[in-house]
Formats: sequence, structure tokens, C-alpha cells
Amino acid sequence: MKEIKHHQVIVVGAGHAGCEAALASARLGADTLLLTMNLSTIALMPCNPSIGGPGKGHLVREIGVLGGEMAACIDETCIQMKWLNTSKGPAVRSRRAQADKYLYRQRMTQTLFNSPNLTLRQGHVTEILVRNGCVAGVKLETGLQFECDRLVVTSGTYLNSRIILGRETWPGGPQNQSPAIGLSDSLEKYGVPLRRLQTATPPRVLKSSVDFTKLAELPGDPDAGGFLWENRLRRYDRQISCFLAFADAESVEAVRRNLSESPLMLGNITNVGPKHCPSIDRKIMRFPDQLKHQIFVEPEGWESQELYLQGLTTGMPPAAQREIVRSVKGLENAVIMRYGYAIEYDALAPGLIRKTMESRALKGLYTAGQLNGTSGYEEAAAQGLIAGINAALSIKGRSPYWPSRTSSYMGVLVDDLSIWQKPEPYRITPGHAEFRLTLRDDSAERRLMREGYGIGLVDEERFRKINEWTTRIEDELASLDGLSLFPSGEMREKLVSSGTGDLKKRVSACEILQRPGISYQDVRNLLGEEKKEWLSAADEIYSLETEIKYRGYFERESEKIARTKFLESIRLPLSVVDTRVSSLAPHIAELLLSDQFDDLNQLVRKNCLSRSELAILFTVLRQDSEEAVGDPEVLND
Amino acid sequence: MSKVRTDTIAAVATPPGRSAIGLIRVSGPATFEVLKKIFKTGGKKTFPLPHCVYYGSIIEPGSGLTADKVLVTTFVAPHSYTGENLVEISTHGNMVVVSKVLQIILLNGARGAEAGEFTRRAFLNGKMDLLEVEAVSQLLSAGSMSQARLALNQLDGLPSHFVSRVRSRLLDHLVQLEASLNFPEDAIEAIDEHLLARDLKKILAELQIFADNARNGSMVAGGLKVALLGRPNSGKSSIMNYMLGRERAIVTEVAGTTRDTLEESLMIGNYSIKLIDTAGLREPGDRIEAIGIERTRRAVDEAFALIGVFDGADSPDGDDRLVMAELERAGKPFLVVRNKADLAQRLPDAFFEGKQQIVVSALKGYGLDQLVADLRRVIEESGLAEYEDLVLLGAQQSTALEKALTALARASAGAGQMYQDMLAIDLEEAVRELGRVNGETVDVNTLDLVFERFCIGK
Ligand SMILES: Cc1cc2nc3c(=O)[nH]c(=O)nc-3n(C[C@H](O)[C@H](O)[C@H](O)COP(=O)(O)OP(=O)(O)OC[C@H]3O[C@@H](n4cnc5c(N)ncnc54)[C@H](O)[C@@H]3O)c2cc1C
Ligand SMILES: Nc1nc2c(ncn2[C@@H]2O[C@H](COP(=O)(O)OP(=O)(O)OP(=O)(O)O)[C@@H](O)[C@H]2O)c(=O)[nH]1
Ligand SMILES: [Mg+2]
Repeated sequence: MKEIKHHQVIVVGAGHAGCEAALASARLGADTLLLTMNLSTIALMPCNPSIGGPGKGHLVREIGVLGGEMAACIDETCIQMKWLNTSKGPAVRSRRAQADKYLYRQRMTQTLFNSPNLTLRQGHVTEILVRNGCVAGVKLETGLQFECDRLVVTSGTYLNSRIILGRETWPGGPQNQSPAIGLSDSLEKYGVPLRRLQTATPPRVLKSSVDFTKLAELPGDPDAGGFLWENRLRRYDRQISCFLAFADAESVEAVRRNLSESPLMLGNITNVGPKHCPSIDRKIMRFPDQLKHQIFVEPEGWESQELYLQGLTTGMPPAAQREIVRSVKGLENAVIMRYGYAIEYDALAPGLIRKTMESRALKGLYTAGQLNGTSGYEEAAAQGLIAGINAALSIKGRSPYWPSRTSSYMGVLVDDLSIWQKPEPYRITPGHAEFRLTLRDDSAERRLMREGYGIGLVDEERFRKINEWTTRIEDELASLDGLSLFPSGEMREKLVSSGTGDLKKRVSACEILQRPGISYQDVRNLLGEEKKEWLSAADEIYSLETEIKYRGYFERESEKIARTKFLESIRLPLSVVDTRVSSLAPHIAELLLSDQFDDLNQLVRKNCLSRSELAILFTVLRQDSEEAVGDPEVLND
Repeated sequence: MSKVRTDTIAAVATPPGRSAIGLIRVSGPATFEVLKKIFKTGGKKTFPLPHCVYYGSIIEPGSGLTADKVLVTTFVAPHSYTGENLVEISTHGNMVVVSKVLQIILLNGARGAEAGEFTRRAFLNGKMDLLEVEAVSQLLSAGSMSQARLALNQLDGLPSHFVSRVRSRLLDHLVQLEASLNFPEDAIEAIDEHLLARDLKKILAELQIFADNARNGSMVAGGLKVALLGRPNSGKSSIMNYMLGRERAIVTEVAGTTRDTLEESLMIGNYSIKLIDTAGLREPGDRIEAIGIERTRRAVDEAFALIGVFDGADSPDGDDRLVMAELERAGKPFLVVRNKADLAQRLPDAFFEGKQQIVVSALKGYGLDQLVADLRRVIEESGLAEYEDLVLLGAQQSTALEKALTALARASAGAGQMYQDMLAIDLEEAVRELGRVNGETVDVNTLDLVFERFCIGK
């Protein structure tokens, strides 16, 4: 008897992308199957034990607002929480958590098991089944088959993966997992071309073998709060510290002595790896004069006896690793528990994914995570969430969702990714977000909550609560704007003594708050009884102050945002029957009709059109657009 | 992604009415195909050989009629002005003939070029940078030696070097900032905001001088504006006509004849001047006059120098004093003219309070040589003639420069006061706009530079 089980959505891989994809899909009501090679290593963190940082932390916040899982999971399983960049400004200020890798996995696994509509199975997918040009299911190594309507592949660093350790290399996945064999061929067979990428991880050392007296302690912030809105005021009183060590001239020498054994020198590895986490060998080769490199010594969990040596990533052979590690002050007697290694794997060739994470090459296929050529847990989770959402939405016949780059880092990520052409893997940083003043950590709820609610991953109750909170901030803003006052003598004295200068005319409370060095509390003191209700929660006050103090910047940014939004609203490809196309020059028409771009903004960002071409295009498109279009001159920004 | 440009463009390259021959350019891949359809060579030379001059006729394919006898010069890609296949067709200057020839070309496979499209193609094909592009367009329309010298200065690339240098200094700071913002834990040296503020202030000052030179440059390039100012009936229009050597402005004995400003070009020595006749200054009698006087004030603001015209045959009244006050208020070089010297004089010398008057009769035509000589002296003394420092910018470049200045001014004021992430945004804008002034790079790939310059990463 032939019995092939059918699920609406199948997700392959239970890494950070796969977990989010499966949960989102199931939570949106699609019957979802999550297939992964090893049920014991769900949500594995094969590299650093941390989540967050500038850009990445923003992603985690946004995942939380949209109804993804990563934020909740790390808030519960972190061993340290910390603010970064607090002195450098509101745009780049972000949280970072040190994770208990083991607890994180456990909690994520529990969440998956407990999720309605979600079935988990262990299985090694070796083939994609395609019917009529559309994905129809998958086949496992065991011969078992499953049918589906939509397929989300999140194979991470596992496709045809190969471990490299000095001269030794063997087929293998991260952390002694097996490589995924077969799926690559199947993808390529159906017109999804691949490329080779590499990455590497540092050695882990035994805690008791480290001399902490020689290291600097880096404690967390008990009041950093969590990523999830619900945890924003949560205190983390119990935390474990990280430590800072330095690789100095001696270590540089140790690396140099062993360079001939570096895979980079041996040439037995592809050269294309993440720019932002070069191996120690690469760093020494590229910056030979730098004789001091930081090594962050990070615990991997509450109970873990292993320490992760951030900064010593390498695929050099064990003897070399030992020499290098022991050259570091404080690690002279360090015992390496797991050696670092480099890994090489298949990822999609660039240009194959839409902003919805749907494949341009194969209908019904969605891809997310490291497979798409990104690197990082947060990037993977964000994409997984978008992929899962869209797989489910399309099952329901609803229109696809993608976040705008004007309103989230997620938007920046999916937009950049779908037109990314550089060879190296993509990692999010504030540097990618041109509207980063708006995309602040503290504004995540205000930016995305409605979208999360609209999609259906945020329920009524949560929406209402968050909405109350954002409204409180916005109302207070309006109220301060409307509160005009004539400074009293006492008030003027205070202003003068606080160094911001005298005030002789009637102003709004906002204008006072805009002055440097004046805080919300100062305004409150100044105003005394003139206003009855005041915000009291620190996070609300922070958000409010930020909005008011940098208004000029936000306003300038919001003009640009409006333009970008308009460009994004023109979806591509245009249809051939679109009458507007016929009035365009052939080469422009060709660009607008080809399935290379998701919207006009991408075309502009890629500099595909000259100013005058843009101007013409605008006149044509404007014919039936209600929206005001900025002058195209500025569009070349 | 490279720009797909498959079409062939054509346009008249000589400004209308200026020269004895008309020049039409055709550029693009189909250039020679188009020409083969409509051009018949007079000689035996095969058409087209690269870089040759042909004499022949432009024939209208349908009727077989000859539109004009022309010279055709061929250029083959990439060795042409635009970097594409290109021909230059020299026709007879008559505008009717020129437009007929152009029309035939456009009906046979080329499309009309947009303004500046030839030069833009040259730019896109790497033939010149933006400031050079601007220089070329100015050179082509230069009416005077000083304008031409200015354009040539530009072609040497001196201003673009300056802009590149400023841009790269700002970019250095930006990269430093971005490194620290994006990678807070990568032991990137903390930014010395004090030093940063000082350096930004210095760069801002330099850029301001450059912008001044650009403003002066555009004055020279467009012709130095000189406005005639005086109460109604003082003889402004008569002087204008006399200097132009033709009856341009209407002259009547009715006060308030000129109701709007009039501009005309003329050469004084090597300088190109734009002489502006204005509506007489007085308390307005009606709305139209009021508008005219408003325009007069604007002309004063835009002018480089002013000529005050006074009626020597009349005793001074409030309007004359208004004119004098206006001259002094404007803060620009000015000359004062006593007109109608052929009549009995009632304007006392004391009225000019010791200012050097130029005694003139516009009617009889004397004294005007002195006026021209004095005007020339004023230009020379202004230093604007020292074109070595002047800079020419197109409208878009000027806008970009102004934006860069504003952003840089904000950054400079904010350094040490403002958060670094805001500073970085202003600096980025300044860098991007400066790139636009030169057209060398509009994209600012700061992150790539961060990775190039700093050892980032765990
Ligand atoms: C050695 C190493 C070093 C790294 N270094 C860094 C770093 O420095 N910085 C950084 O940001 N990131 C680093 N990473 C990357 C980080 O681990 C990934 O970005 C992140 O885990 C990607 O998540 P993912 O969900 O895309 O894939 P993964 O977490 O890799 O998960 C993939 C999942 O898919 C499953 N799977 C794969 N193929 C199949 C199949 N055919 N059938 C069934 N299941 C399948 C796997 O079992 C796994 O569960 C490193 C990873 C490794 C391995
Ligand atoms: N005798 C004499 N008459 C002059 C002279 N210059 C101008 N006029 C006469 O003065 C009258 C006004 O001259 P316009 O040139 O029209 O004066 P205007 O300043 O342009 O006057 P509005 O346009 O009305 O402001 C005319 O009748 C001229 O013929 C001059 O030098 N001598
Ligand atoms: Mg007149």
C-alpha cells in the first residue's frame, strides 16, 4: 500500500532559520512538518555563544515584535545581558546576550514539540520532488517521501559540507554532525545554482585551566532588560561574566610560525568567507603590523566547563592551535577541549531569492538562513520567520509579506539579500541601514507591531497591550508639544545654571527638552504643577527623549523614507500587459519586465537607471499613481 | 550592472542664432547606418572611414531632394567625444536648414538627444569627470575670453582634485566613526572628538572658500550682471540702447516706460556682461509698476555691479535719493552717471557727495566711452577676472555642493556635542554630495572601507 503523507508546508532543517520558519508557519495555521537530520541538535549554536549586538540585536527585537521565537528564547536562557554602544547614540545602541547554548536548544526544542499544527521528524532530505515545475515534496535518505505544497529549505552549513583542519579534511557538518549529501544535486537539477562558502570557529578551552587573574572581567548589566517587549524591564541579577585577554606580539609570532599550515596558505579551502569574522591567520596576514588582538573569553552556559575564545577562529592544525592559545597571557596552561575548524559548504548563488524568501528559480520553494549566503544566528532566524510566514500566507491564498527597509532591519536584510552580488556572506550591521535613526532598538514596537498583528502572529491581547504602551509615549509627545509656557524667573535661573542658556520667550515643553543637557526629569521639575501626568517607566522616558531630542534628524530622514517607500511600492516585475511599459525605451522596459528585482527601489539602488531615465520612468509611472513623487533628482541618493 | 544604451541620438550642437555654420552631432551604435541612408558623399572616398571629413549632401530619402550641402566628420568608438560612434555634420547656419537636416536624421533612426545627453554619455563612458563635463558645456557656450579661460581651468581638473581631496578626508573620518559604531568591541581606537571637531571646522572653512569661488564662477560664466538703476525717465533705457548699439529697450518721454527688467549681453574687452535695464525706482503708482519695482530690487540682489543713472537736467527729488540709498545699501561696486548733459543742468554736484560722476548724454552719445572704461575698471578691480581660482558648477552640482556644505556645517557644529551616530549621518551626506559634485562616486561604501582599514572580527 502506497502511503505518502502530505503536509501543507515542509521545513527542512531545524537550525535558527528552520525553527522560526516552522513555528511561524504552524502558528499561522498551516499543517507543517519539520524535518531535520538530528532531533537532538535542534537550534544548535555551532559557533559563538551569543545573540545580539548592533544590527543583530535589532533583528532579535524585531523578531520578537513580529511574533517570532528567538527573542523569547534567548531572554529565558541567557547567562548575561548587556548594552553596547550606549555612549555612541540611540541608533547604534543595542543589547547583546550571552547564551546558555544548551538551555537555548532545550527550550527551543520544547517550544517546537508543544506547538500545534507542527510535526517534528528526524530525517535526512536527499531530494526535492517537483511536479509541473512546482515543488511537490521531499524524499529522505531512508527512501521515505513526504508531500507538500510549499517547501522551506534551511540547510545551514550542512550541504556537502567539509571540515578543514590544517592539511586534514573530511566530509562533515558542524560540531561532528553529518554532512547533508544529495540535496545539493537535487537543487541544482531544478535550476537552483549553488556556490561554495566557508566559515570557521575557534577552539574551546577548559574553564579550570584558565588563569582568570590575568584577564579583565566583563560583567553584564543587570538592568539591560530582555529583547522581548514583555521582558523589557526584566532584571537579570544573576549573570556570568565574560573575560578579555589579548593576543600580543608573542601570539602574532606563534601564528606566523604556523602560517604554512593554515588552510589559507595550503589553499585547500575556498577563499570566500565572512568578512567580519576572519580567522586569526587571516588577520595576521592582512594586518601584519597590528601586534595586539582582543580575545573575548566567553562561557558557553551556566554549567558548561568550556570557554569560547572569540578572536582565535582558525582552521589550523591542533598543534598550531595549542601553540597559539598558550601564547596568550592567562591561557598559558589552557587545555583545548574542542579544536577550532573551518567548514566549507554549499550556498545559493546570489540573486535567487525574493524579499519574501521565495525562490526565483523554483516555484513553491522558499530558502532561509546560511543557505541564502548570510552568516549569523539572528540573520538566519529573521529570514526563517519571513520564509515561514510567506509559505503559510500563500497556502491561505493571502498576499505575501515583506518588511520594508524603511521600517526594519529585517527589511534591510531581505532587501539587501535579494540583490546582494558580493562574493562574501552577508551579515547585518547598522552600516547597511540608511535609515538607522528611525530603526532604533527602542522603536521596534512602533515600527512593526501593526504588521505583526496583521500577519496574525501577534494576538489581540498582546497587540492591545503593546498598543497602549506605544500610545502612551506618542500621547506624551503630543502633550509636551502642545504645552506652551512662558519660562518663570526660577525656571530661567535653572536653565542658566544648567548651562543651556537663558530663555526669554514663550516655548513648548518639547523645545526645552530639545536643549542639550536637559532631561525629561528636568522638564518635569521645571514645569512643576503645570502638568499632572508624567511618564515614569525608564524605557518610555528614554524613547520619548530620543524622539524629541533628535527631531531634526528624524525629520530629514523621514523625507528620504517617504521617497524610498514610494519606490518600494512599485512592485516588479511589471506585467507585459501593463500599458505603461510600451511607452518606455526598450532597455528600461526590459529591466522592468525581467524577474531580477522585487521593486523599483532595488533598481534605483543598483544604479541601473540614469537620472534622466528615472525622470522619464517617473513621468510614465506617475500617470496613475496617487502618491506624490519626490523630485527624481534626490532619488539617486 | 552596466547601463544598457542601445539607441542613437542626435542634436544641434551650436546654440541657436550664434554662428555662421550649424553643427549637428549624431552618436550611438546606429550612427553610420543612419548616415548611410541620408548622406551622399561628393567624392570617391568610401563612407564611412574612421576619422575622416566628407563633403556631400543630405538627401531626404522619400523625396530625393537635397536638404543641404554639408561636411561630415566621422569618429569611431571609443575614440570620440562620447566614446561611441559619432559624426559631426556641419551645415549652413540658417536655422531653417539646420532643423530640416535634423528632422531628416530623426526620421531615419536616431532620436532627439536630451539636454546634455552627449556629454553624459561621454561621462558614462569614462571620457571625463563631472566637473570636466561642466567645463565642456561652458566652453562651448563661452562668449568671452574670461569664460573660456575659466572653462579651461576646469578641464585641467584642478577643482575636481580639490573636491576629491576634501571628500576623502571626510571619508576617513566617516570610516573611523562607522568602524566604532558598527563594531563596538573591536578595539578600534576611541574617537578623539576634540580633534575631529577641529578638523571638520578646518575642512568646512576650505569648502566654504571653494563654494564662494563656485558662486563667483557662475557669475563669470553666465556673464557679469550689471544693473542700470535710476528713477523713471532718467534715461536708463537710452543708455542701455546706446551701449548695445541698437534700439533694444523702448524709450519714451513717459516716466515709467520700462515696466519689467530686460537683459542683454555685450562684451566689454574680454568680459561678457549682462546689462540689465530696470523699471525706474519710485513709490509705485499701480500694481504692475509695483511688481516691476520688485523685480528691480531682485535684479539689484543678483547683480555684480550697479550703474546709477540720474537726470542732470532736473533737480533731485525723493526718488533720486531713494536710488542713491539703494546703490549704497546693496554693498556692490557701483558707478554714478549724470545723464542728459546736453541740456541745462539743474542737478547740483553736491548731490553726489563727492562720488566720481560720469557725465553722459545718451541722446548725443557722449561720455559713454568713459562709462565703459569705468565699468571695465570695476570688473578688473573686483578680482573676478582672476579666473585661476574660479570654479564652474552646473545647477545640479551647485545643489550638491550646497547640500554638502549644510551637512558638513551640521557635522562640524555637532562634533563633540552630538552623538556619533548622528554625526556619521551628516558626514555621510556630505561625502555623498561631494561625490556628486565630482561625479566620481555617488555610492559611499563605507563598510567595505571599514573592513579594508580595520582588523575587524573575532
Ligand atoms: C564552524 C562554524 C563557524 C561559524 N562561525 C560563525 C561566525 O563566526 N559568525 C556567525 O555569525 N555565524 C557563524 N556560524 C554560522 C551560524 O552557525 C549560522 O549562521 C547559523 O547557525 C545559521 O542558521 P541556519 O538555520 O541557517 O543553519 P544551521 O544552524 O546550520 O541549521 C541547519 C539545520 O538544517 C539541518 N539540515 C541540513 N541539511 C539537511 C537535510 N538535507 N535534511 C534535513 N536536515 C538538514 C541541520 O541538521 C540543521 O539542523 C558558524 C557556523 C559554523 C558551523
Ligand atoms: N536730452 C536728452 N534726453 C534724454 C537723454 N537720455 C534720455 N533722454 C530722454 O528722456 C526720456 C526718458 O528716457 P528713457 O531712456 O526712456 O528713460 P528711462 O530711465 O528708461 O525711463 P523709464 O523706463 O520710464 O523708467 C526720453 O524722452 C529720452 O529721449 C539725454 O541724454 N538727453
Ligand atoms: Mg526705461
